[in-house]
Amino acid sequence: MNVYESIVIAVDSVRAHKLRSSLTLLSIGIGVFAIIASSGITGTLQQTVSSQLADLGENSMLIQRTPSINFGHSWRKYRTRKDITPDIARGLRERMTTTSLISVSNTNNGFTIQSGQESSNPDVALIGIDDMYFEVNAISLQEGRAFTEQEATIGNNVAIIGTDLLPLFPDGKPLGKTITIRNQQFTVVGVLERKGGIIGQSQDNRVLIPLAVFIKYYTFRWDTSVDIAIKAYTKESVAATFDEAVGIMRTLRDLKPWEENDFEIDLNEALAGQFNNLSMAIVVVAWISGLGALVAAGIGIMNMMLVSVKERTREIGVRKALGARRRWITRQFLIESVTLCQLGGATGVAGGLLTSWGVTLIVRTTSVPGLDFVFPWFAVVFSVIACTMIGVGFGLYPAWRAASLDPIEALRYE
Amino acid sequence: MSDAIIDIRHIAKVYEMGNEEVHALRDVSLTVGANEYIALMGPSGSGKSTLMNMLGCLDTPSSGTYLFNGQSVGDMSDDDLAEIRNQEIGFVFQTFNLLPRASALQNVELPLVYSGAPRSERSRRAEDALTRVGLADRIDHRPNELSGGQRQRVAIARALVTQPSIILADEPTGNLDSKTGQDIMALFDELWRSGNTVILVTHEEEIARHAQRIIRLRDGLVESDQPNEFHATPL
Ligand SMILES: Nc1ncnc2c1ncn2[C@@H]1O[C@H](COP(=O)(O)OP(=O)(O)OP(=O)(O)O)[C@@H](O)[C@H]1O
Ligand SMILES: [Mg+2]
Repeated sequence: MNVYESIVIAVDSVRAHKLRSSLTLLSIGIGVFAIIASSGITGTLQQTVSSQLADLGENSMLIQRTPSINFGHSWRKYRTRKDITPDIARGLRERMTTTSLISVSNTNNGFTIQSGQESSNPDVALIGIDDMYFEVNAISLQEGRAFTEQEATIGNNVAIIGTDLLPLFPDGKPLGKTITIRNQQFTVVGVLERKGGIIGQSQDNRVLIPLAVFIKYYTFRWDTSVDIAIKAYTKESVAATFDEAVGIMRTLRDLKPWEENDFEIDLNEALAGQFNNLSMAIVVVAWISGLGALVAAGIGIMNMMLVSVKERTREIGVRKALGARRRWITRQFLIESVTLCQLGGATGVAGGLLTSWGVTLIVRTTSVPGLDFVFPWFAVVFSVIACTMIGVGFGLYPAWRAASLDPIEALRYE
Repeated sequence: MSDAIIDIRHIAKVYEMGNEEVHALRDVSLTVGANEYIALMGPSGSGKSTLMNMLGCLDTPSSGTYLFNGQSVGDMSDDDLAEIRNQEIGFVFQTFNLLPRASALQNVELPLVYSGAPRSERSRRAEDALTRVGLADRIDHRPNELSGGQRQRVAIARALVTQPSIILADEPTGNLDSKTGQDIMALFDELWRSGNTVILVTHEEEIARHAQRIIRLRDGLVESDQPNEFHATPL
């Protein structure tokens, strides 16, 4: 009865002082909201990104003329860099001793794929690949086959499509069909396994063709640079492979010892790490400000409780006269302040979950199909615990004040 | 004297008001035995409420000794005093002092909550007490849905629900009209007749006439302590 009664009183006192209590509850709500929403959103994105970066292959690294994630603004520095030509790639491949898992590819965007009457969106990525591509990038097929070594080197007009292009084939059977890419006809030999996407970019909206064909028909004169993916055999050999690749690249590009690398080389882990650092920073900032809001709200709660103790002085006197021990009075007011905190916290949890779920939904429909909402369990549990602790922490003084009231004086209080 | 419920000796109570000292009680000694019916009278400010609060273990004396059922109250902690108030004393106030948000039943249950009685026993005993004061049909009403007399009946039910050694009432009819006051007094008479010990404070001779013994205070001293010559022992 005491617990239930205290909860009812807490809810009552919120209703009785709408403005004052809604401001206090709101600030608790905002604090919890920041914690839940930031964890929910970053958790969802992080899970997707790290699983996809991991898909790119463990222990692998990527050599490119310019970085793929560019946080800086030194475009000038990158623009003057020489291309990484297929010759350089071949040279690297021949000289590398620590690993043989080296794949050369090149990507261009903005292609329209046609098949019979059907036509795709004009935003398909076309990727020229060699025969090592699947092995190095840990990509697999859900249907059909990879290119044979012969197809890849000689350059037959064969293609492997991503799942986004399946609607081009109304009968659902793409294998053996012909697709047209800018006047060139290709025979579909395989379908990539569905991957979802890294933020903003579907990984399935693409077509793979042999690199030789790609270079022949689809490279722009100003961008003939290829990307080189290298995979170390083991985790332990990553560093050695990395160093060897850097050394050979420098030699191939005639760099003097004092000159900087004129190419980018990134470990997949480093790319994942960059993203993780970014989301970690968001979470840390959100949690710190959320906790700050909670502490500020705690002071509001304390004020509310002190007012409540004052308003109910007589009631406290009656309870003491009837034999309530200090412990009972303390407990009653603590339950009340925890209830207040949980009321505010519940709105924050609901708002935070709704927001991160909404963001997940938007990202999923606009850019990343297959994005799953990751329920931020830890943040929710943490918020409930934090609200309880704040309720207890900031309710302690008012509760102590109530319990220490002199019964006679409390009964006389008007 | 070992069967006395209350035994106070040379009790004094001094309130500090700034640099002024108010001697609410100067030197009061008295004993109260089982099943006594006492009216405490005296002019305003003579110390009646102070003495009642002291007897009810709501307050402790500045000097003197107070033995309640042989135990010295002066040495007790807050929680020990709370337990005595809960188990041994039933308090009835002039202003009823019911919890406004609670029903009659919940108000009467309150002392049982604090004594740790199980829920089912609580409501059974509270219903019995309300039946005894004639409010069996009002148990779910809140105080603001009850008349003054009915509120005081709830308060009396609350005072007797723990079966205390003694019932203390500070001007229990002070806020009631005289007809309702008489009804309430009939209730106290009934409690006394069934074996309870009752002490009540009053200004009215007519009310005091119900008691067996009348103690008059003046300026913090006992002016007189006599059996009530008008007391007819009915039955
Ligand atoms: N908390 C207090 N602080 C200071 N003085 C007090 C306090 N309580 C009572 N007094 C003083 O003690 C004296 C006795 O007060 P008490 O309330 O016992 O009188 P009373 O006999 O009950 O009077 P009434 O008939 O008006 O209720 C009064 O002079 C009063 O002013
Ligand atoms: Mg008085």
